[in-house]
Amino acid sequence: MQNRPAIVAVGRTKFGEHYGKEPEKLIEEAWLAASHECNIERRDLEACYLSDCFLPITNKLGLEEGFLSELTELHVPMEVTRSVSAALLTACQAIQAGVCKTVLVGGIEKMTDRWDKIRDDLMLLEDPWSYYAGGTPETNHELMLRAYMKKYGVTGENLDKLNEALAQVAVKNHANATKNKYAQFQREITIEQVLRARKAAQKPLGLFDFAPISDGASALILTSEAIAKKLTDKPVYVLGYSSATDYLNFPARDDLTHFAATKIAMKNALNMTGKTRWDLQVVEVYDQSTVMELVSLEDLGFCEPGTAWKSINKSCSDYKGYYEINGNRLFVNTNGGLKADGNPLGATGGAQLFEVFRQLRGEAGERQVEIDQAPPRSGCTLEFEGFGTKAYVSILGREQDE
Amino acid sequence: MSSEPIERRVSYLGDRLKASRCRICGKEYFEVRDYCGNCGRKSFGKMDSIDLFYEKGKLELCTLVKEPTNKFMKLGSYIYGIISFHNGKIRVSGRLTDQIFNNGDAVDFSSFEGREVIPRFRRRYSVGSRDVVPTISLAFTLADEYYPHQEYTVVKPSKEYDVPGIVGYGVYTSRFRIKEGGLERSVPFVDEDAVTAAVEAGKISLIHSGIDSSQVGKIYVGSESNPYAVKPIASKVAQVLKLGEEEEDVQSVDAVDTEFACKAASSMFKDAASLVNYPDSGVKYAMVIGADNSQAAPRGCPGGELDTFVGYGGSAFIFGKYDVIAEIEGWYSCTSDTPDFWRRDGEPFPMHGGRFTGDPAYFKHVRKATTKLMDKLNLTAGDVDYFVTHQPNPQFPVKVAKQLGFKEEQYAVSLQVNKFGNTYSGCSPVGLAAVLDVAKPEERILITSYGSGAGSDSYLLRTTSQLVDKRKRQKLNVKFQAENPFVEYVDYTTYRRLKLGM
Repeated sequence: MQNRPAIVAVGRTKFGEHYGKEPEKLIEEAWLAASHECNIERRDLEACYLSDCFLPITNKLGLEEGFLSELTELHVPMEVTRSVSAALLTACQAIQAGVCKTVLVGGIEKMTDRWDKIRDDLMLLEDPWSYYAGGTPETNHELMLRAYMKKYGVTGENLDKLNEALAQVAVKNHANATKNKYAQFQREITIEQVLRARKAAQKPLGLFDFAPISDGASALILTSEAIAKKLTDKPVYVLGYSSATDYLNFPARDDLTHFAATKIAMKNALNMTGKTRWDLQVVEVYDQSTVMELVSLEDLGFCEPGTAWKSINKSCSDYKGYYEINGNRLFVNTNGGLKADGNPLGATGGAQLFEVFRQLRGEAGERQVEIDQAPPRSGCTLEFEGFGTKAYVSILGREQDE
Repeated sequence: MSSEPIERRVSYLGDRLKASRCRICGKEYFEVRDYCGNCGRKSFGKMDSIDLFYEKGKLELCTLVKEPTNKFMKLGSYIYGIISFHNGKIRVSGRLTDQIFNNGDAVDFSSFEGREVIPRFRRRYSVGSRDVVPTISLAFTLADEYYPHQEYTVVKPSKEYDVPGIVGYGVYTSRFRIKEGGLERSVPFVDEDAVTAAVEAGKISLIHSGIDSSQVGKIYVGSESNPYAVKPIASKVAQVLKLGEEEEDVQSVDAVDTEFACKAASSMFKDAASLVNYPDSGVKYAMVIGADNSQAAPRGCPGGELDTFVGYGGSAFIFGKYDVIAEIEGWYSCTSDTPDFWRRDGEPFPMHGGRFTGDPAYFKHVRKATTKLMDKLNLTAGDVDYFVTHQPNPQFPVKVAKQLGFKEEQYAVSLQVNKFGNTYSGCSPVGLAAVLDVAKPEERILITSYGSGAGSDSYLLRTTSQLVDKRKRQKLNVKFQAENPFVEYVDYTTYRRLKLGM
């Protein structure tokens, strides 16, 4: 790959409620952390790729590029996308094309400022017709689970195991988040708590099955490989990236049990790298619900369709920090996932990339994954926009030629 | 939704559940599409418009919504899921309506999944009092409960009559009732109002008549509970029921709302009949609907005495000269300015003239119109088989019928106030429908409406043999709705909440 893009530094804020901070304060914090890490100045930036999912709605900010220009006193090209993965994808293409050498990729979201209306906004953006019919941000996840149970004939004792596996996903992610100082939730939960919440809700999924509403920002500095080596000893390369789309209206999709966009994006991203999926050792999946983590393991090809719950259930009955799938170890959502790390939509992908970056560089502290006494060599992130309407897969690696 | 253009587009598609089918590959889409995603450019101009309004769907998957988004809060908890049509060729989101879930009730999703459902035209969600009222048909009810599925089949007319008359009719009341003493009254579900009742009644009348809806040239909707002070109900009915030919989103039909308390609909029977009888009008059929979510202040408030008798529902009658089931033999109307019941603009509930509503108002006008018509046609009480009049409470119609010399067997069939309450504009027409449900050919029906304010319209109808032929097309007749085993009874507090609506 010519001009291979490399991440030289990452930064982020804590996710959660930032009651007293304006959106620009959050991105400033993330940018300062990242620029400090690789010791660059804002004037070194040739472009900014920023993402926010709905600042125009939550904070009535229509032209985010303007306040970033004001903040940085830069007049470089700036573009706004809806997710950090989308920003990264565009930035990678610019670097590879030789248009830019050093760019900022970042994301902000400030959802709690519109707490009282946020669920209506989320659902209306996710799928207007389902909103008009009475859907909520939770319903598609629950319907996907019902469809999954029916398609794979999961009943009786197996259904209990499937439900337990989903609870284990939440419990595992909360446990991971206790080792992540940036995570929104810093407490462990139990399977009983997850099950009790479902019972109280009288629904397939309960409070502890869903990611929270969050504020936060994330940033990373992307350069071409030539520059990367001057800025850091340990650049992390973007080896592959791809995205795919699907219908806005979930019921109209062909397959109600899986995300077709994930399958396509993963295949195309892997093709860019020459790696197999099992070369990826740390995986950050988009667990807006526990069902999404389960289904994504299948869509990314790690588990056969209809079997992920078995692997999760077995691995988590004596959890060692990874899912064991057919004898392979897979470290999933080591930062706590969206469930416990938080989900400020436009910044979420940045936290996923942050985690894989730290893991590959051996900088994940208490959460550090070790494979043969060394940090993992490569990993990937899966980020969605909407309910699987867009899927982005980004594959990162320590070594550029593999 | 604060954007009127968006509201117009969503309602245009969603009220009727408009869909498309590719003539090349057969793929179907919810929404109107100019070309098929599969076939691309070659499918331009080859997409057939279809809709799901009279179809039956299947609830594929469902879950419970206990914490709705803000605009759905007033619906409480409801079942929401995915509904398929045409063996899964089209799948849409939808919620089950007409169901009350109490907190803590166990909900078994598999007892709902796989069941057949019917799209119902309802209010979509809550909006502010200044906004356009949003509607949609992505609300569904179970096909094996209160409201069974009925096919809408257009039947070519076989006979032209010399005089105009009724060619079809329909009555709609909701699934919910409040029962106090011997009186049952229909209660709208929270997403129902006068507009949805008007559409339901019209839909049922089209099914009964078997006429092609595109041949309806005029629609009158009488109501005193239109959610708008300014904006007709009739325009919504015309668009949802596709009355008149549709061309570029516009229906070639004249639509108008009328208001005269409880005679807003019956008053237009003669206008509809005259219009279809006038050779140059070009109007083959005219539809008259009376629909009300009958208004009453809560008990203990001024005007609250009405709260004991108000109901909810609508009736629709289609007039024409083809395949008539009841010919109109004559009419008489009278009017005086008698303020026995009124509602000032901007006030939420009507006021009531107390004892003044009896002798100088109801009795005087009903007697006057009935006796004048009988004199005009040279009839005595014994010459008619059925007598129908307005039913503001259970006592008044019986008293006036006796005063006019009618016997119980002549008026008893029409008395529906004990089952549905006073449905205002729909009230005496519901009585007429109950009679038409059971009458034999060549029988005479005398109907006298009453509207506060005040006035009465009296009509003499003579049934034909086609009455019996068409009867089998209508499952949802008055008796079916009155004695329906799926009726759900609610207490006074729930009744007020549901009646207040979204």
